[in-house]
Amino acid sequence: MTVASGHEPALDARDVYVRLGGAPILHGASLRVDRGQLVALVGPNGAGKSTFARAAAGILRPARGEVRCMGHDVRRTRGRRLARLRAFVPQRPRVPEGITVAEAVRIGRSPHLRPLARATRRDRDAVERALERTGTARFAHRRLTTLSGGELQRVQIAIALAQEAPLLLADEPTSQLDLGATVSVARLLRNLAEEGLAVLLVVHDLALAAALADEVVVMSDGRTVASGEPREVLAPDRLREVWKVEARLDADEAGHTALRVDWLGAARELEGELR
Amino acid sequence: MALTVTTVARRSAVIVAALVALLAAVGASLAIGAVDIPLATVIDALFGDLADGPERKIVMDIRLPTTVEAVAVGAALGVAGAVLQGALANPLASPDVIGVTAGAGFGATLILLAFPGSVALLPVGALVFGLVAAAVVFAIAWTGRNRGGVTQVILAGIAVAALFGAATTGLMTAFPDRVQSVVFFMAGGLTPNAWIDLESFWPYFVVGLALALVLIRPLDRLALGDDVAASLGSRPQLIRLGAGICAAVLASAAAALVGLLSFLGLVVPHLVRMAGGTSSHSFVIPASALAGAALLTAGDVLARNVAAPTVLPVGPFMVVLGVPLFLWLLRRTA
Repeated sequence: MTVASGHEPALDARDVYVRLGGAPILHGASLRVDRGQLVALVGPNGAGKSTFARAAAGILRPARGEVRCMGHDVRRTRGRRLARLRAFVPQRPRVPEGITVAEAVRIGRSPHLRPLARATRRDRDAVERALERTGTARFAHRRLTTLSGGELQRVQIAIALAQEAPLLLADEPTSQLDLGATVSVARLLRNLAEEGLAVLLVVHDLALAAALADEVVVMSDGRTVASGEPREVLAPDRLREVWKVEARLDADEAGHTALRVDWLGAARELEGELR
Repeated sequence: MALTVTTVARRSAVIVAALVALLAAVGASLAIGAVDIPLATVIDALFGDLADGPERKIVMDIRLPTTVEAVAVGAALGVAGAVLQGALANPLASPDVIGVTAGAGFGATLILLAFPGSVALLPVGALVFGLVAAAVVFAIAWTGRNRGGVTQVILAGIAVAALFGAATTGLMTAFPDRVQSVVFFMAGGLTPNAWIDLESFWPYFVVGLALALVLIRPLDRLALGDDVAASLGSRPQLIRLGAGICAAVLASAAAALVGLLSFLGLVVPHLVRMAGGTSSHSFVIPASALAGAALLTAGDVLARNVAAPTVLPVGPFMVVLGVPLFLWLLRRTA
């Protein structure tokens, strides 16, 4: 087993193949995320983004290829040890009855506890920090079933932060949220990256990806087809090729982004008329 | 802050209440019967301060074994239900769901009807077929596509239970003149020769309860969903398998000793969750053990004394005690 060194990427997935129920879902997906970097994984529905994120987190077993978290091969790293290297925020988490926010975040700390051992001062502090950092401390006593979508998503991130892993993978954490909640979760993830966490964010919203990410990785049909600086990668040609739409990404230096989409196909018709 | 004072106070109150109820039930179980024995005399007998005589004999040789059996079985069924409901994320889960109850019923019926000369084998039959039924459920649910999924386990359990239920009915049809002997087992009743049974079956209770203790934290992770549990380093299918084995061992051993008391495993975990206001397994599992033990012991006191000297099956009495409490809490809980 390789020991993690300072220069290694936090996440290094190379040429990953995954089959689910006999069907090939991923065939040749690669990406890397460094510490302090936020990488957005984008692509159309069914491109394999979630599958890739789950394989990168070691939750799905790849048929081929290699995934290293902090230098450790995820296939050989199991259980609590892997949970201290990376945290995964799922797309549709279960919301159990009778569990408070604080209890849920304490469960997030459990990979640091030996079986049957009690939480130490350090563990309690880590839980406290995760609650504070995500703004969930003020409703820590509330039950999960009483929270809004935005609040729930912050709790999911708090559970992940309690793991104190250097790598965070989040699978579409903003897909169910309104604009305000999306902005608040997005800022939280960006700030976590600024503080040194490596963040892989699976996201649908290309304007959001462009605003947040240091780097964008595009997936199409089970493969990663491009990666790099958002404005370069999300060029009109690629949007046409991968998403089959006429669209242009506008971004300014202040971090405002917008996706100008030809929603009704007017541009194409106009083009036809001019011809 | 993380755990507010009221939450801790409420949980502690429920644990203390269950403990008090258990002690009261144990005291009543030892003191009340065909001959009422004062509590002070009971305590003297327990600590060996009572001279040999009928009272000492009643307490030590008749009532103590049954009481210990009620406590062990009640705790086992409460824990089995709590572990299964947690693992399957289903409020209707109980040892019935993984086929144990139907399997044990068939095993006991088989001995009582087909081999009435070997009635001493009844507990063994119940235990073995309870475990066999659960093993068949696991074998089906943990192979093929979507193995280890919640729906897979529950549907396999229902199908296997139906199979053993049909076999039991078949046996009863084949031996209609002997069906009477099965009724007591089906209704659940504590056996008079409890020491002998406990001597053979105590390892199942110890292993099952120890496994439940180890499962507390994994079950809490699983409550947040399979993906979060996996993120936290657990394997959801493995937790469900462990919980299934734990519940199968506890419920089969319980059925071997006292017959079919499935109601207890279903209701007790709900009782403690509603009373404690939390689903955290570090509370639900120990509290279910205490409450299950208290409920079965109290039910047994009633069953032995309502129509004394006739001893009635404990199952219906436990239901009579538990259902009103359960319904009252159900209406109060949001």
